[in-house]
Amino acid sequence: MAESSKDKIKYGLLKFIDVSGFKVFDPPVRLIFGEDPQKQIRDIAKFMVLPMVFVLLCIFTWNFLAPTHKTKSGAVPTPAKVWDAYKDNRRFDERENEKEEAFALTGEEREAEIAAVKAELVELEKKSTELQKLSDEATKVGQAKIDNAIAPIKTQYDELNAKFREERKERKAELNSLAEKIAEKQATTDELITAVKADRTATDQEKTLLKDLKTKMDDIRSDPPEEIKAAQLAANKVADEVQHYKKRLDYLTSGNRELKVVKLEEKIAADQSELVAAADPKAILKEAKSVVSNEEKIVKTAEQDYPRTATIFWQTRRSIATVFVGFFIAAIVAIPLGIMCGLNRIIMACLTPIISIFRPVSPVVWLLIFQIIVGAFFPDPETHWLFKTLNNDTILWGLLPNPIAFLQTNPAMIFSACTVAMCALWPALVNTALGVSAIDKDHMNVARVLKLGFWSRLFKIVIPSSLPLVFAGLRISLGVGWMVLIAAEALSSSDGLGKFVWDEYQNGSSQSFANIILACFIVGIIGFFLDRIMIILQRLVSFDDGSATA
Amino acid sequence: MSYLEIDQVDVSFGPVSDRTHVLSDINLSVKENEFVAVIGFSGAGKSTLMSLLAGLQEPTKGEVRMNGEVIKEPGPDLGLMFQNYSLLPWLTVNENIRLAVKTVFPKLSKKEITDKIGHYVDMVKLSHAGDKLPHELSGGMRQRASLARTLSLDPKVLLLDEPLSALDALTRSELQDQILNIWETDKRTVVMITNDVDEAVLMADRIVPLTMGPSATLAEEYKVSMERPRDRQTLNDHPEFMRLKSEITNFMMGLNKESKELAKGSLIPMPDIRPKDFSLPTARPRLKNKQSQPTSAA
Ligand SMILES: Nc1ncnc2c1ncn2[C@@H]1O[C@H](COP(=O)(O)OP(=O)(O)OP(=O)(O)O)[C@@H](O)[C@H]1O
Ligand SMILES: [Mg+2]
Repeated sequence: MAESSKDKIKYGLLKFIDVSGFKVFDPPVRLIFGEDPQKQIRDIAKFMVLPMVFVLLCIFTWNFLAPTHKTKSGAVPTPAKVWDAYKDNRRFDERENEKEEAFALTGEEREAEIAAVKAELVELEKKSTELQKLSDEATKVGQAKIDNAIAPIKTQYDELNAKFREERKERKAELNSLAEKIAEKQATTDELITAVKADRTATDQEKTLLKDLKTKMDDIRSDPPEEIKAAQLAANKVADEVQHYKKRLDYLTSGNRELKVVKLEEKIAADQSELVAAADPKAILKEAKSVVSNEEKIVKTAEQDYPRTATIFWQTRRSIATVFVGFFIAAIVAIPLGIMCGLNRIIMACLTPIISIFRPVSPVVWLLIFQIIVGAFFPDPETHWLFKTLNNDTILWGLLPNPIAFLQTNPAMIFSACTVAMCALWPALVNTALGVSAIDKDHMNVARVLKLGFWSRLFKIVIPSSLPLVFAGLRISLGVGWMVLIAAEALSSSDGLGKFVWDEYQNGSSQSFANIILACFIVGIIGFFLDRIMIILQRLVSFDDGSATA
Repeated sequence: MSYLEIDQVDVSFGPVSDRTHVLSDINLSVKENEFVAVIGFSGAGKSTLMSLLAGLQEPTKGEVRMNGEVIKEPGPDLGLMFQNYSLLPWLTVNENIRLAVKTVFPKLSKKEITDKIGHYVDMVKLSHAGDKLPHELSGGMRQRASLARTLSLDPKVLLLDEPLSALDALTRSELQDQILNIWETDKRTVVMITNDVDEAVLMADRIVPLTMGPSATLAEEYKVSMERPRDRQTLNDHPEFMRLKSEITNFMMGLNKESKELAKGSLIPMPDIRPKDFSLPTARPRLKNKQSQPTSAA
């Protein structure tokens, strides 16, 4: 019995691996269950170890080649730099969370938090000053080292410079005299031209020599010794932390939502008492206006959310949400249309010109078109009911928290999704039509013998038999959609990974390049998982061994 | 009076310029509750003939009638068992049959449907494989599933296109008995295509050979007047069985030769290399009585 249950687990696992398309993990699972160990180990070596070695090789090559190429945004980041960028982005995200929490804290909790943050801050500041001192010292020492290294070059440079200046002067005088001689017909013009040429070459040579020395010095200056870098980095890190704690404290005190409301309430109370006391009609009106405007402000402040800065993780979630919205629009349109096309040659003939003309249109064009069209639907998106509902903190009349509020849906998301839908539509449509029209004649004969009605024929025969191809189309659609979306976001600055990449490209900080490469990996990994999901779905609906998936 | 009638039917495929005449001048009339077997060579047009009877194929010329009315479209009354099984690959055996039963008998309760499915799946000895998808079954198992589905329609006319061709001798004889049993107890009309002369003589009232294509037509029929029930055990000694068998076999062999000559255009003399004796060289035990053997279907 134990044997068979073990077998059950084994074959269950193997089946799952097969369905999800992670065939690579087949040998290790078999090995764990002790099936033909030699063969499994050979397979593992061939299909797991070798590929891993290859990937590592690629990473090493990257690591080796990256620093050799200098660009305007610094050297191409190495894998380690990209990993650092990932960690920095994580920290940034966590800090945003902490600030958001601080902004919304109320009452005693806030008081406790203030105390904790303050205590931490004292510690941190102490540490920061220490580290700053260390860093300063290290910089001083390092600077001396640099100066020492530069000094001889500098003297050499100055000497050479003075020497060359003299020489240039001499050559100039010579040329002048030669010119005079020519005027007196004592020399030929050829001689002068040769002399001028010689002068130029000499000057150029001198300049290159000087320039070389200068670059040498610059290099020494721009590449401070490691200990300086380390000390500065440590100091900066803590200084950064201090900065963050100060900001947090800010959000716990003057920037806190509750405290802002309290302040406004106090103001109103003061205004009201002044209103009662005032005698001058102008003053009375002014106080009354002030009360009303402050009351409005209270309502707004109480509803306010922490103005989060978009992190790469938030952008990722937003992109995923957008691609799915677009993908579902595409599927909802494409599948019924595709079925109609496949069933009816006339409909197919009607749609063919439309498909043929619009399918090759570039996503960029769709993006611009949808940007204009969608924009016209929402002249004032802030107050539009759709976005108010979608971004409301709660759903179902306040019963549950709104799970999609964090997405901050806006028209940009809608036109990005529409662009995705427009481009993802075609593969799904064409494949569905193909799947439906290629339905086995024998299966239709079964339907005829059973006298199935139109709808049972559709749902019992046509759709199940075309489902594998439909899903093959949807898989392509999702892949296309994801690619198009990132480009669309970059182009239209609509929130998402594309915008993140574009912003990084534009702002050009020291970490931008690493961030762009990080985004590249995130886009790739998510694309990979989206494809996996579709593969699994496709295998689940295919009825003939799953071999329909290539 | 004939129940099922093919009247002067031609069937051809393709455009006028490149027409293949598959069947020409077919006349067949089947009486109610009669069992007719059609035999013919591969590609002669047997399945096309079946499609005609089932209403899946319109005749190019002539009429096909059932009970005096022209058959215009297929329906569950004309229960066709497809030669290539045509099981729906995304449904299990049980679900395939359920779809048929539910469509044809919409008034049955859930339990009645399940019972009906169970009955026919049992009959073809597939109870253990009821939850399997067609691609998980062997060819013979698929054939039996298809037979079960056709039988479950409870059709007035059973049209069986080589229903047992993929089965082993044991299962085959058992299912022959089952089909005969259904035919005798429920009294219905059966047209069966087979490539096995023994099977035809054993089961049918009448055997109609189809000549070689193209332009195949039905040849002179053979009446099987042996009394029923026919006992498989003693059949081999029955003089009529022996006579019919050799007559039909000879006729078919003649057809084959004729068509070869036709194809060649002229007769090339061949050396006579026929074996002296048609009987098998060794004494192979013949399965005369299936009841005495343990059944090991599937
Ligand atoms: N739809 C079609 N279009 C063109 N030719 C067809 C069509 N259906 C059948 N045929 C032709 O008709 C002939 C008879 O086919 P059919 O399937 O009826 O043969 P069969 O006697 O059932 O053969 P088998 O015993 O191999 O099943 C074949 O030559 C085939 O090429
Ligand atoms: Mg056939």
